[in-house]
Amino acid sequence: MALIQAVGLGKTYGSTRAVNDLSFEVHPGSVTGFLGPNGSGKSTTMRLMLGLDRGDGATTYDGRTFAELDHPMRHVGALLEAKPFHPTRQARNHLRMLAAANRIPDSRVDQVIEMVGLSSVSKGKPKKFSLGMGQRLGIAAALLGDPDTLILDEPSNGLDPQGITWLRSLLKHLAGEGRSVFVSSHLLQEMAVLADELVVIGRGQMLANGAVADFISHSGLGTVEVRTPDGAVLAPAIEALGAAITREGDSLVVSGVTAEQIGEAAHSAGARLHQLVTRQATLEEAFLEATGLSEEFRGSTGDVA
Amino acid sequence: MIDALRYEYVRLRTLRSTYWLIGIAMTFQLIMSVVLAAVISQSSSFDGGNAAFDVIATIGASSGFAPLFIAYIIGLLGVFSTGHEYRHGMIRATLTAIPNRTHVFAAKVISTVVISAAAALLCILIALLSIVAFGLDLPTAKGLVNMTSGTLIFTALFSLSGLAFSALTRNQTAAVALLMLVPSVVEQIIRAIVIAIKSASDHPSSDGGIMNILKYLPYDAGGKLYTRASLDDLLSFLGFIPFGAVGGGIVMAVFVGALLAGSYALFIRRDA
Repeated sequence: MALIQAVGLGKTYGSTRAVNDLSFEVHPGSVTGFLGPNGSGKSTTMRLMLGLDRGDGATTYDGRTFAELDHPMRHVGALLEAKPFHPTRQARNHLRMLAAANRIPDSRVDQVIEMVGLSSVSKGKPKKFSLGMGQRLGIAAALLGDPDTLILDEPSNGLDPQGITWLRSLLKHLAGEGRSVFVSSHLLQEMAVLADELVVIGRGQMLANGAVADFISHSGLGTVEVRTPDGAVLAPAIEALGAAITREGDSLVVSGVTAEQIGEAAHSAGARLHQLVTRQATLEEAFLEATGLSEEFRGSTGDVA
Repeated sequence: MIDALRYEYVRLRTLRSTYWLIGIAMTFQLIMSVVLAAVISQSSSFDGGNAAFDVIATIGASSGFAPLFIAYIIGLLGVFSTGHEYRHGMIRATLTAIPNRTHVFAAKVISTVVISAAAALLCILIALLSIVAFGLDLPTAKGLVNMTSGTLIFTALFSLSGLAFSALTRNQTAAVALLMLVPSVVEQIIRAIVIAIKSASDHPSSDGGIMNILKYLPYDAGGKLYTRASLDDLLSFLGFIPFGAVGGGIVMAVFVGALLAGSYALFIRRDA
């Protein structure tokens, strides 16, 4: 089982520092989600981890760099881009070629083709493949060597809902077997279900790293809904704690303090509580809050005319 | 290194262009060999032997009046060797399968040499079969070895230059253009300029001088490996004495070696 340790990863394009001193670990038995806005350096980081781009720092897999691995596809499976294959070479032959370099038998090629659901088109030309089929072929290539570690860049791109569900089950299953899975995705709801841990970057900088639950709970966007007949008494007591309050009907929606703090304040103020509900931020809200100032490319919803 | 060679072996075997290009070269060779052998068999001034073999094996290129056509076709195998990696985004898949870039590059060089030489050898065999089929005299052993080795070496070097152009530019289209234009256009333009300068000089028939530049035009010099007469002979009145087969081959080999060294250095350093 491979522990991925990335230390001080950095990459500069001209005067732009695309990735700056990123360090993190991906632990065996877990799915680690890699999040960041467009252009934040996720793909560059993954290429650095595999020695494909030249830059600063080092990434080791159980203490060895990717270049030091003997038959690397047996240790690390990678999917870096959609459709990385010759358009007229049969899908099966594409995998056979990769397998040949890593002493992987052809029987394993047929196995992974079946695993990703491409058996019926394995002798077809990939130029006719949809984006989703191309992704499945890329995933097959990543799984070819039955590796301990998977590094997948946007693997769900182009997959249909069934495909996304299949991929989620597959990655969960692989992590459950003790493998290290490092996966980037823009599908935050999917990542919320899939990932155990997160690495969040913006403009090449580390924004957050740790358990998904911690990332969400640290978000300032969590609220507590308070139903009370004594709002006029309770509201000033809560505001005194530095919380922000909005009124929704007979409820107060409070942000910036915990339910325990509100309970204490209500007790002290002699206010009655009928309901106290903590609503956590979603991963999407937490992500948008964390990366709000780190977007490389920001769109506008204003008139374009 | 063996793993990289296995990768190249499967890569070449599973690519349709490998079969197309070799097939085109062999078909061209077959048709033209049969035509030339038929014409020569009816000729009273040609009775086979080395002269006929030279012309048929190179489809007239040995006369110096035409390029070695099969080299231009087979040379595309060299271009595609690295060109496909960049054109179809294969380079990252390749380097995640074989992270040792030196092994990847060396395997491409070796496989390009082997397949180019093998394809050229098949073309030579077709020429020999045509000679036998039309009852022409066979070449001497020395004539056979000289022409065969010259053609094989030139074709392999030509293909390697295509590989190097591809690796340097990371652009398959540009590499094809360079491989086609440098020997057939760029060198001819340089030749024309040098001849014009020499002709306009005070002593146009003096030995050497600026004409020596022409000795180092790499593809033209390499062509001496298979030419038995040359247009260059017509330039002797300008004091031009080209290299022979060995010298010309060395010039081309040094040029191709420099291209490969440069492309290797960039391949090692660049982002994939």
